[in-house]
Amino acid sequence: MKDSTTQDRLMISKNKAVFKAGVLLFWLLIWQAAYLAIGNELYMPAPLDVIRRLGELLKEESFYVSVAYSVIRVFSGIALSVFFGVLLGIVSGMNDIVYQILNPAIVVIKSTPVMSFIIIALIWFSSSISAIFICFLMCFPIIWTGTVQGIKNVDKKLVEMGRVYRVNKSKMIRGIYIPSLKPYFTAALTTAIGLGWKVTVAAEVLSSPKNSIGENLFSAKAYLDSVSLFSWTVVVIMLSFLFEGSLSGLMKKRVPSRSSLSSRIPLSTRREDDGN
Amino acid sequence: MGIRIENISKSFGRLRVLDDFSLNLEKGKVHCLFGPSGCGKTTLLNIIAGIEKPDSGQVMYDEDIRISYIFQEDRLLPWLSAEENILFVMEKEDKQIADKYLDIVGLSGFSHYLPTELSGGMKQRVSIARALCCQPDILIMDEPFKGLDHQLKKQMMDHIKDYMKTKKVTALFVTHELWEAEYMADIIYSLKGLPLAII
Repeated sequence: MKDSTTQDRLMISKNKAVFKAGVLLFWLLIWQAAYLAIGNELYMPAPLDVIRRLGELLKEESFYVSVAYSVIRVFSGIALSVFFGVLLGIVSGMNDIVYQILNPAIVVIKSTPVMSFIIIALIWFSSSISAIFICFLMCFPIIWTGTVQGIKNVDKKLVEMGRVYRVNKSKMIRGIYIPSLKPYFTAALTTAIGLGWKVTVAAEVLSSPKNSIGENLFSAKAYLDSVSLFSWTVVVIMLSFLFEGSLSGLMKKRVPSRSSLSSRIPLSTRREDDGN
Repeated sequence: MGIRIENISKSFGRLRVLDDFSLNLEKGKVHCLFGPSGCGKTTLLNIIAGIEKPDSGQVMYDEDIRISYIFQEDRLLPWLSAEENILFVMEKEDKQIADKYLDIVGLSGFSHYLPTELSGGMKQRVSIARALCCQPDILIMDEPFKGLDHQLKKQMMDHIKDYMKTKKVTALFVTHELWEAEYMADIIYSLKGLPLAII
């Protein structure tokens, strides 16, 4: 029985992988068709050329240095936004005055074009710090909003229960607030990672800090090297996926899911003896 | 420790639920509030438990006493197992005590089950175990046996009755069923509302 279930699961995951590969192939074919239709490598390079260029990049040491520095910038910006976003989000979710004070600033940040902030940041900071600052500034409102929503949606009945039983504050935070916050925080962080990559690379393109993906994109543009431009863009997309994938894996590992918990206990022993 | 409820008033908007309501609850006795739905019984329980604040009047009891409350709903943390839900409210977490009370309510084999894996009645029994394991001085029960079948209801009532007699707990018990009130209570208050009043 167990073996057939494992086999079924393997079959399903195999089918999923085949389907995903099929979808990827479909879009590569569309790309190839677009390349053939346009017939100008400057506007649309061939997918095979881009893949070949990617292969060449992977052999260069400078590629890894650029990627590493950009990853550090994105990671720093997101880490800062998580720290301040969660901290101020919790305070704002619990205190309406703090929320009313911070909300206009968040609305202004959300409505301001990223380019305006990048130019301002370039005046204020060095090129490397600018990219981190922009990443922080763009991701902070997302984390803050997610945290505020999470805190405001905590089940009040559970909080009342905790208060009646005089559960101490740290236990209340660990036992009620953090688990309630988790889905909102995970969704906000996933969005922030995607946006973080985009804005950091945009800031790098404009500020061209040494050793950065943005610098490489800028040179590709300057030399009208579309193949490199597309290759570096693919690198950014893949890094963003990698970040998001590792994050969701980490979140699943930290808190065991309901299904993983159930598998430890034989469900056959469950009783339905209450007539409910 | 008894409870003195003095001249309590409470309104929700234009709805006056309690109007200068007073009641003395004797130490170690089970008091039953018996009355129709919506007459203000739960509001009174919530004020005694400190969940709601009265507009005027006061509830008097020692500050350091422990209150347990069996709510109408189970109010279990969905991400914690039955045992962890009990440990959550304990001042000093003790798995043995938690398991002992799960055993008392007939759920000894279910300590690692999440609330979503338990039936409504089982969840309610976990919340009964949670209330008893805290060694309360005051036990508040708002229709605690809702959703249990007759036999199980009687078993739970016997356990709680024994517990309250042994530990001399002051209890306040809300029900719609007269036989439950007569079976459990030392003193029965028949109520009407709104505003809440003793008949």
